[in-house]
Amino acid sequence: MDSTRVVDLKGGALAELTLEKSVTQAELESLLREKLGTGDIKVLSIRGERVTVQFGTDMDVVKVSEALRGTATINSYKAVGPVLSKQAMNQIYWAIGFAFLFMSVTVFIIFRDPVPSLAVILAAASDIIIAVGGMSLFGIPLSLASVGAILMLIGYSVDTDILLTTRVLKRRKGTINERALGAMKTGVTMSIAAIASMAALYLVTVFVMPEARVLSDIAAVLIIGLLADILTTWLMNLGILRWYLEVRS
Amino acid sequence: MNRKVSKFLKDYRVILLIVLVAASITAISTMGIQQGLDLQGGSLIQIQLERPVDAATMNTVTSVLDKRLNIFGVKDVKVRASGDQNVIVEIAGVQPDQVADIVGKPGKFEAKIGNETVLTGTDIVSVQPPIITGNEWEVPFRLSTDGARKFAEAARGKAGEPVKMYLDDRLITAPEISAEVATGKPVTDVRITGAENSKAEAEVQAKEIETLLKSGSLPVKVKIVGVSSVSPELGKQFAEGAVIAGLLAVLAIAVILIVRYRSPILVLPIFFTTLAELLLILGAAAVIRWNIDLAAIAGILAAIGTGVDDQIIITDEVLSGEGRRTRRKFRIKDAFFIIFASAGTLIAAMLPLAYIGFSRGATGIGLLAGFAFTTVLGVIIGVFITRPVYARFIETFNVAGRK
Repeated sequence: MDSTRVVDLKGGALAELTLEKSVTQAELESLLREKLGTGDIKVLSIRGERVTVQFGTDMDVVKVSEALRGTATINSYKAVGPVLSKQAMNQIYWAIGFAFLFMSVTVFIIFRDPVPSLAVILAAASDIIIAVGGMSLFGIPLSLASVGAILMLIGYSVDTDILLTTRVLKRRKGTINERALGAMKTGVTMSIAAIASMAALYLVTVFVMPEARVLSDIAAVLIIGLLADILTTWLMNLGILRWYLEVRS
Repeated sequence: MNRKVSKFLKDYRVILLIVLVAASITAISTMGIQQGLDLQGGSLIQIQLERPVDAATMNTVTSVLDKRLNIFGVKDVKVRASGDQNVIVEIAGVQPDQVADIVGKPGKFEAKIGNETVLTGTDIVSVQPPIITGNEWEVPFRLSTDGARKFAEAARGKAGEPVKMYLDDRLITAPEISAEVATGKPVTDVRITGAENSKAEAEVQAKEIETLLKSGSLPVKVKIVGVSSVSPELGKQFAEGAVIAGLLAVLAIAVILIVRYRSPILVLPIFFTTLAELLLILGAAAVIRWNIDLAAIAGILAAIGTGVDDQIIITDEVLSGEGRRTRRKFRIKDAFFIIFASAGTLIAAMLPLAYIGFSRGATGIGLLAGFAFTTVLGVIIGVFITRPVYARFIETFNVAGRK
C-alpha cells in the first residue's frame, strides 16, 4: 500500500506549499533537512508553484513555517501525532465492525429468512474485501476518507441485493429467470448511475483540485466497490438464491 | 391532463414538499449555510490533555484557551471540548503557525515567593488593562479573598523580596514586594509595576503581563496532537470544485437515464426530485446551524446517490406494472418495501460512525461524524418526503408507461 500519504493513520505531517521562488526538489529537501535537523522529510511533488511535502514525524508547524520563510508559504498543513492515529485506527475497526453488525441485523429483520439474509451479507462483505484489495492495488491509502467510502459502500451494496432478493422471493409473476432479469435491469442501471456520478466526482477532484483528496479517495473506493458489486450481486447472490429456491421447492 | 395536474397538486405529500422546499429556500437565504473550515479556510487544532479530566476541569481548560486566543487578538475562534481528554480549536482564516504558536504555550501561571507557590492562575479574579506612563507600566488586577489572604501571609515582612512569576515554569518577571503589601494585611486589589527603556518596550511588557495573568492557569498540561489547516483560497477552490463535481455527477446520471429509458421527459422529474432533496438537506442544515464541510458534502452526495437509485426502483416497478391501476399501486408498495429496507440498512451502517463522533468528540475518526450525520439526514428526508412525491408523480402521470 502507498505509505506516503497515510498521515491520518500513521502519524506524521503533510504540508501543501506555495513557492515564493523557484527551487528544485533536491534543494527544497536539503534546505528543510538542514533547518529542521531531521532526515525524515520527503518532497512528494512539485507542480509549478504547488509543492507537497511529507514529514515522517509529528513536526512542529511553527518550526516548519520558520524554516520555509522566504522560500514558500504554507497553504494547508495536516499533522497527526502517533497517539491520535492509534486512537483513530481503533475507532475505525469498531466503526466498521459495528456498521457491519447493525447492517446484518437489519437485513435479518427485513427478510426473516437465514439463507437470503446471509447471501446479502456475504455480498456486502465481498464488496468491502474487493474494495480494500483495489485500494492496495491502486495505492489508495486507508484514511478517514476511505473508511467513510467503505461504509457508504455497505449501503450501496445492500441496495441492489435487497432489490434482487425482494423481486425473486416476493414476486409471484414469471419464472425465476424472468424476475431475476427484471431486477438485474433495474439494479445495473442503479449501479451504472452511481458509478457515473462517482467518476465525475473523481475526475473533477483529480484534475481541478488535487488537494481535495478526501473526495477523490471516496470516489475511487466507491467506483471499485460498485464494479465489484455488479459481480457479487448478479453472479454470487443470484446463484445462491437460485440454489435456495430449488432446494426449497 | 388538467384534472391529473390538479389531483397531483392536491396530494398532501406534494403540498408538504412544496411548503418544505419554500421553507428551505427561505432558511438558506436568511440564515445562510455555515461552511466548514475546509471550505472557508482556517485551522483546526487538536489538543490532547495529559490525562482524562472531569467536566469542571475541562471547562476551565477550554475557557482559559479561549481567553488566551482572544487576548492575542485571534477572531472567530471556537474552542470546544471533545470527549474527556481532547480539545478542538477552530479558527477561521488564520495560518496554522500563528495559531499553534499561541495555543502551544500551555500557560501554567504561578507566582512564588522564595520557593513557596503563593498564587496560581485560579486565584486571579479579574485583570484591568495596563496603564502606561512614559516608560513605566502598571497592570492592576484583583485577587480572590482566599488568594489575597494566602498572598498576604506569605509576603508578611518580606518587603523588597521578589515575587517570581512563572508561565509554564519559565520566569517571566519578578516585581518586588512593596512595603504596604508586606504588612500582612490581605489586599484584593493589587498591581504589578515596572519600568523599561522606552514607551514601546513598556507597552509590550505590560501586555505580556496582562496576558499572563488573564490566561489563568491550565490545570493539566496540554499538547498539540493534530493540526489541519486550509488557506481561504484553497477553501474557495474546494467549494467551487464541489459544485462543479455535483453538476457533472447530475449530468452523468441524466445521460445514463436517458440511454436506459429513452425518454427525456422522465429525467426531468428525477432531476427536480434530486434538486428538492438537495434544497431540503441544505435547508435543514441552515436551521440547525450544521456545518457543511467536505465530509458533509460527501454525505450529501451519498444521500442523493441513493435517492437516484430509489427513483430508478420506483420507475421500473411502475413500468413493469403497466395496465391495471390496482396493480400499479401494488408495485409502488413493493418499491417502497425495497426503499425502506435499503434506507434502514444504510442508516444502521452509519450509526456507529455518528455515535463515535458525538460521544467521543471530533478527534480521529470523529471528524467523519459530519459525513455520517448528513447521510442519515439526507436519507430520512428522501425516504419520507421527496421519494413518495416522485412515486405519486409517476403514478399519476404514468410517464414511464407512455414511453
